[in-house]
Amino acid sequence: MTQFIVKPGTKNLHHEGEKLITTHCCYCAMQCGMHIRVNEKTGKVVGVEPRYDWPVTLGKMCPKGVTAYQTVDHEERITKPLIKKNGEFVESSWDEALDLIEKNFKRLQKEHGKDALSVYGGVSMTNEKCYLVGKYARVALGTRFVDYNGRFCMSSAAGGFMKTLGTDRGATLPWPELEHTDCFFIAGWNAAECHPTSIQWLWKARDKGAKMIVVDPRETQIARLADVHLDIKSGTDSALANGMLHIIVRDGYVDEAYVKERCNNYEEMKEKVKEFTPEYTSKITGVSVEKLEKAAKIYGQSPRSVVMFCRGIEQQSKGVDNVSIYTSMALLRGQIGKFASGVATVTGQGNGQGGREHGQKADALPGYRKIADPEHVKYVAGVWGIKPEEMPKAGVSAYEMFDEIQKGNIHAMHVMCSNPAVSAPNTEYVWDSLRKLDFLVVSDFFMSETAEFADVVLPATTWAEDEGTTTNLEGRVIRIRKVKDPIGESKTDWQIMKLIAERMGKGKFFPYENVPQIFEEFRLASKGGKADYYGITYDRIDKEDGVFWPCPSEDHPGTPTMFKEKFGTPDGKANLAVVGWQEPAEIPTAKYPHTLTTGRVVFHYLSGTQTRRVKFLMEQCPLPYAELHPELASQYNLANGDKVKLTTPRSSMVLDVRLTKAIRNDHVFVPYHWGKELSVNQLTNPALDPTSRMPEFKVCAVKIEKV
Amino acid sequence: MKKIMYLEFERCIGCRSCQAACRECGGHDAKERNYVEYVDFLESRQTFPMMCMQCKDPACARVCPANAIQITDDGVVLSAMEEKCIGCRNCTFGCPFGIPKFDFEENKMYKCDMCYDRTKHDIAPMCASVCPSDAIRFIDHDEMMELRRKRTQLNLIEGKKPSENNKWQYVPEFFGVYSD
Ligand code: SF4
Ligand code: SF4
Ligand code: SF4
Repeated sequence: MTQFIVKPGTKNLHHEGEKLITTHCCYCAMQCGMHIRVNEKTGKVVGVEPRYDWPVTLGKMCPKGVTAYQTVDHEERITKPLIKKNGEFVESSWDEALDLIEKNFKRLQKEHGKDALSVYGGVSMTNEKCYLVGKYARVALGTRFVDYNGRFCMSSAAGGFMKTLGTDRGATLPWPELEHTDCFFIAGWNAAECHPTSIQWLWKARDKGAKMIVVDPRETQIARLADVHLDIKSGTDSALANGMLHIIVRDGYVDEAYVKERCNNYEEMKEKVKEFTPEYTSKITGVSVEKLEKAAKIYGQSPRSVVMFCRGIEQQSKGVDNVSIYTSMALLRGQIGKFASGVATVTGQGNGQGGREHGQKADALPGYRKIADPEHVKYVAGVWGIKPEEMPKAGVSAYEMFDEIQKGNIHAMHVMCSNPAVSAPNTEYVWDSLRKLDFLVVSDFFMSETAEFADVVLPATTWAEDEGTTTNLEGRVIRIRKVKDPIGESKTDWQIMKLIAERMGKGKFFPYENVPQIFEEFRLASKGGKADYYGITYDRIDKEDGVFWPCPSEDHPGTPTMFKEKFGTPDGKANLAVVGWQEPAEIPTAKYPHTLTTGRVVFHYLSGTQTRRVKFLMEQCPLPYAELHPELASQYNLANGDKVKLTTPRSSMVLDVRLTKAIRNDHVFVPYHWGKELSVNQLTNPALDPTSRMPEFKVCAVKIEKV
Repeated sequence: MKKIMYLEFERCIGCRSCQAACRECGGHDAKERNYVEYVDFLESRQTFPMMCMQCKDPACARVCPANAIQITDDGVVLSAMEEKCIGCRNCTFGCPFGIPKFDFEENKMYKCDMCYDRTKHDIAPMCASVCPSDAIRFIDHDEMMELRRKRTQLNLIEGKKPSENNKWQYVPEFFGVYSD
């Protein structure tokens, strides 16, 4: 089978002595198409060539994507298993490392029961691997404690969509349709930095006159160009969205026929939003009445609109509520299930969509099945070849696993594709928990901050050394190709899980020789579930430029547009949000008088384990900083480049000051991609959303001091 | 080469992908030849990209006392020829856009060559290929003219009409770079 996929008429540059292998970026869920350049003689990865004919991104990439290949043959790759002896890592053989893992896992389970072990996964890996993480925890280790870093990423969106629409697929429409939209209502999405290649679609629509409303405490690139920038106080989205619903109802912008036919709760919702007058909303959110009125008018009058949101509204202790109310805006306007309109949450991690659907979550099984549902357990147990009663019960969410360590319930952990020592909130507590573990195994290809705590580090491969599928932010299942063989003695995550399963005496449940075999089993495991991948094959992905789930059979065309006829709820109707206003878990006080919010920069990805090792990206952004409005800075006599000490009830840290008027004058922004003393998550608040267990990364109260 | 490099500054989102991509072009030795700057970060996040204009009568070449800067038949202004360049750096000061740079270690000048190994085959240069906002494009002359007319049309759709004292606001906000 050819490794280079190109459409007739598309020209690419082929350098002599090189071959091109078609794949997608390893970082965010845009999953930009690219060809990797490989030197045919040395087998080394030497560069990147744009994939002009990939319909979602048209060859475009952000600087992370352009330089992604540089992590593959990177000099800091871990190439052999490492065992910590007297506080130092020593290289070992695989046998020695696996012996140690087997000995400790078995000992701890004998002493403390099955649930002494835990698995902490991630969604920056293929569907095949994400699927296997859940099976590995429940079948190979037999523990109920499994969860993943999606809790810090997509879980509020998932919770909100489940509640309102009944099915959680990130976007209800395919991305290229955005070009034909008349109005974007964007909340908490720093599109230019977090998903840069989406910008081309927004700008194309704007070339045709589309309007754009942006809700953000910072004047981001898209906010600057928006028709209305709603400069909201962090953490007040539920009030703002309810305020929008209020005006939409008041001014008769509701698509009454659609709502009558397709939505529940309309009367209750109308009653609820009555109190959210523009004046009341303005008082809570800090956005002027004029702006609120203008935004609602533009949105309410646009024939085709998309409501889009991202972590800004989701990483809050009311993340699920926020998602539900913003989604209700699209429902009231009758937009969901139609051309060039709908609702979308913009997935952060490469496989944030696929990785959350197939059982890495504490209470979920493949195909969006639930562990609480005996029928679901029966089906999946059947596919896995175990007895339903052998299926462990639901565990706890990612952050709560650290509580379980502190309580002495979890004694060992296997972390894969994740770096909670940087990405979890209240990191000092997390570090303490990692130290308390009797035994920690980390699979990674760089020495991450979490890996430094490990007893055993297993060398995993990068995305370019394995194949499989991912599901991009649209819900389109696409193919990642293997570009080269694993370097050194590194192994893919699925091989590592298989090896440990064998050591735990469960090898017969993991008989895989290659990735397609896992894919076949995974298709079957998802069959009949909400996220049904059964009809998707590698061949179809190549031929059809990816396939959108649900796709229940091979002759099913897939589902680019969701909810055309009915919603995923039991009665087929969407549930409009009936939710009141509630403060964030922490609000400014005399002691901590301002608001701290966190986010990404375009040059880094998640905890920075990869991007902090890429020269170009580090040249552009080597350190975190505190972004403040000059008005706030002058209260503390702070100038550009000064050092500022930020303190929250958790901890404090010192940062360089960067002044700009493009932020609210009562907020401080710090990017989160660094570890240890540079990690802003030392300061963030671990208050969890009651449904999604998402921590409130986006809002906490902070004290400012000049140092 | 019939295509045109087309810059639309207002579209730029400051991702600096064009810079990263410039380093990736064959023969660019992992050094970028373009740059991206904030207009004024204190005021806003607006950035703009700048690349070589491939001038018809290039100042860089004119001020070169050694005649080291050559222009291809299709109008691409190349980096100074190593054997001719005397390292005086006149070009770095002469260029009105600040494009040519001097590598003190290698003792040679380097500048944008419009990814000549790509553009000579009508394949877009790396910067224009990856730019996520279409701030940099590599397009046909006709397409550029159409884009210019579109801009005016959009202003009218918005209900704005140029008057004597603000008509400059209606000038299309881009540069077209002609390569031949
Ligand atoms: S990080 Fe995201 S936007 Fe950037 S190249 Fe990769 S997939 Fe595309
Ligand atoms: S790639 Fe495009 S959007 Fe990004 S900095 Fe360069 S010109 Fe601007
Ligand atoms: S380097 Fe400067 S002077 Fe020379 S061709 Fe380019 S823009 Fe013109």
